[in-house]
Amino acid sequence: MLKIEEIDAYYGDLQALWGISMQVNEGELVALVGPNGAGKTTTLRVITGLLKPASGDIHFYGHHLDKVAAHKIVELGISQVPEGGKIFTAMSVLENLELGAFVASARKVKDQSLQWVYEIFPRLEERKNQRAGTLSGGERQMLAIGRALMSKPRLLLLDEPSFGLAPLLVEQIFAMITEINRQGVTVLLVEQNVRAALELAHRAYVIENGRIVGQGTGDALLSFESVRSAYLA
Amino acid sequence: MLEPLVQNLAFGLLVGALYGLAAVGLSLVFGVTKFLNVAHGELLMFGGYASFWIFTLLGIDPFLTLASTIVFLLVIGLVLYKLLFARMVKLTESVKIQNTLLVGFGLSLILQNLALRLWTADTRSITTFYSGSVFTLLGVRFPIVRVASLVIALVTLLALDMFLRRTYTGKALRATVENWEAATLMGIDIQRVYLLSFVLGAALAGVAGCLVSVGYSIDPVMGMNWTLKGLIVMVLGGLGSITGTFVGGLVLGVTESATGFFLSLTYREVVGLVLFVLILVFRPQGLFGTKEG
Amino acid sequence: MTRKQVTFSALLILIAILAFLPVVVKKDSTINLALLVLLYVSLASSWNILGGYSGQINLGHAAFFGAGTLVTRSLWLAGWNLFPSLLAGGLVAVALALLIGIPAFRLRGIYFAIGTLALAQILYITVGNTLPMISSLPAQSLATYELVPRYYLFLGLTILTTGTAYFLVNSRLGLGIMAIREEEDAAESLGVSALQHKLLALSVSAFFAGLTGGAFAYYHVGYYPQLPFAPEWTFDSMMMAYIGGAGTIIGPIIGAVFFVIVREFLVLKLAELHLIVFGVLFILVVLFLPGGLVGVWGTLQKALARRSRPKEIKLTPTRES
Repeated sequence: MLKIEEIDAYYGDLQALWGISMQVNEGELVALVGPNGAGKTTTLRVITGLLKPASGDIHFYGHHLDKVAAHKIVELGISQVPEGGKIFTAMSVLENLELGAFVASARKVKDQSLQWVYEIFPRLEERKNQRAGTLSGGERQMLAIGRALMSKPRLLLLDEPSFGLAPLLVEQIFAMITEINRQGVTVLLVEQNVRAALELAHRAYVIENGRIVGQGTGDALLSFESVRSAYLA
Repeated sequence: MLEPLVQNLAFGLLVGALYGLAAVGLSLVFGVTKFLNVAHGELLMFGGYASFWIFTLLGIDPFLTLASTIVFLLVIGLVLYKLLFARMVKLTESVKIQNTLLVGFGLSLILQNLALRLWTADTRSITTFYSGSVFTLLGVRFPIVRVASLVIALVTLLALDMFLRRTYTGKALRATVENWEAATLMGIDIQRVYLLSFVLGAALAGVAGCLVSVGYSIDPVMGMNWTLKGLIVMVLGGLGSITGTFVGGLVLGVTESATGFFLSLTYREVVGLVLFVLILVFRPQGLFGTKEG
Repeated sequence: MTRKQVTFSALLILIAILAFLPVVVKKDSTINLALLVLLYVSLASSWNILGGYSGQINLGHAAFFGAGTLVTRSLWLAGWNLFPSLLAGGLVAVALALLIGIPAFRLRGIYFAIGTLALAQILYITVGNTLPMISSLPAQSLATYELVPRYYLFLGLTILTTGTAYFLVNSRLGLGIMAIREEEDAAESLGVSALQHKLLALSVSAFFAGLTGGAFAYYHVGYYPQLPFAPEWTFDSMMMAYIGGAGTIIGPIIGAVFFVIVREFLVLKLAELHLIVFGVLFILVVLFLPGGLVGVWGTLQKALARRSRPKEIKLTPTRES
């Protein structure tokens, strides 16, 4: 459903991505892994339109994403959980979730979506009237994911959901992500935590210094010698 | 005798309500777009003149024509935004802040001299049949017009608060204040949010201007003074809270009155500015830090 | 000749013309006009040192100008000689600048601009309330008043201001100042003390504004002490610097000349119109022509240069078709 072809991207004069090509098929949980600063977040920004690529194509169900304005991406069915969650701390948990359903199509089914999110993240329902700023790190991440789900996305982009979380929480979050994928949401997971991501994913891409240096199924990459030594030692 | 003091403070409170109203408009635009519209005072001035001329030429009471003044300012705000500010949205942060300041300043110059050209430097004021009416409470005189202005200011701010808290568009605005990128990811069109907030800011200035023209007086050069009042209150009351800003306005009004009463008129004129500078220097983080952090 | 040499020679010629002006032209009104232009060049140049080169928009420039007038006028009327009075005016302006600058530079972005505006307004209002009476020259000074020496004072001052700006900009300090404008944090990490450089630029800017104020006090027969503190002086200087070309040496000069000419021209037709015109020009410069008139000139030069080159190529025989 999502096809990225030969994307070059720049920050000003600085090139960040070289000929990135990736594919995500419906129902899959695909991981994009690599070290810090490899270009993972940049790739996501290109997909969601926050950064326009210098060359290359992005297709999503026939739409040319590189030609679509950033705020219209959600309407097409792509929702992103940005790095750190970026929840609206001054607003309540409920308001954050409501904003997730901002686009007209999502607003109509807001109440159903809310129920669905509460099922996956019961903690959010408990705290629904609390100011988002009072939530703990793990709860914030849950809120960020829940908020992204409110638009009933076909493709969910996750930017380092494990970042800054204790290992137990990371396990929980990843379990929830697997569940979300199982319920039919295609997932593109960007992660520094290579082992966990590869264990979760059907397929994965490895990115280093702005270039894709490897791809394959999660299991295959896990056993691949260079990946083991570089990231899993 | 306590009475003159209380009378004085009452007047301070009444004008403070308008300071608060003026500041909320400025603060709304600044919070959402990070543009500091230094021509805000001139928009207020135009609102005042709109009310004045409708009253003088058509004889209709300014409180009744408030809606038309609002519409007038909405249109002006729209035109100015599309013409001048819309193109600066994509600039990098520091350049954007600097350029919008400069453009705002150029705009204030143009508007001020346009007003001088069109309407001469004479001070104007709207005098209705009830302008002199006063009601007395516990020995303190409250001019009806100014009390009505306070009420209208409160109602306006209440309406704004409802809009921001209860409607989806209002929430989108608040979300943009916090994190425009995250807001974009929700499908919020930032350009439209910026436009809306600018236009709303202009409308709020218009309301304030109308109230000033009835309760006080207007002239083409009043703009900078009101912009400064707005800035002072914005810094006093803090960004992001309508209530806080309104209270800040009241505080400024009362402080000015008290200073004028206890010290002298000279000090009354500068006390606000001095407070402003002190807060900027000693507590800039405390009032604005959260957003910049 | 290089472009720099051309510009330099042009300036020398201009200075010569200006130096001989009072000798050739005996009309007071012309000398007054030239003096006014010099005053504005000085003010705009001094503003530009901070605003144009370091990017710190100072909306309180009039405070330094005004302080200079106050100090110089008081000392001179009290019996001091002119040059010590002028110097004192400049130094007091610097003191004021440091007083303002040290807390003000902790403010990032626009807060510095509005902070300086507020401070200047405080001075404006206070002076207006504490010194409401017009300041007039005593009778014997009036009797011996001569315009021409005052003209030369302004000329010398303007040359000094512009020259200092030039040397400052082309020095290592100047590089530091401009580095701050581009990217303050990066500059800091390279060892450029942002605060020190900003204070330096501010002090130099204030010093010359103060000197100009002193010259103003020496020039005017009678004026309200509040007048030089009026924000218009700041705004006019800023507009001249931008319209001429902020961040260049010639920019403020061109801007000031342009400003005075247009104002004189329009004042005959409609008052206040010149400010509307300048407001519009200013906005146009900020939005579309960041280099100001100097930038436009530079672009024109390049365009003309590009056009003239192909002609030369045609003269040389080539094998390619």
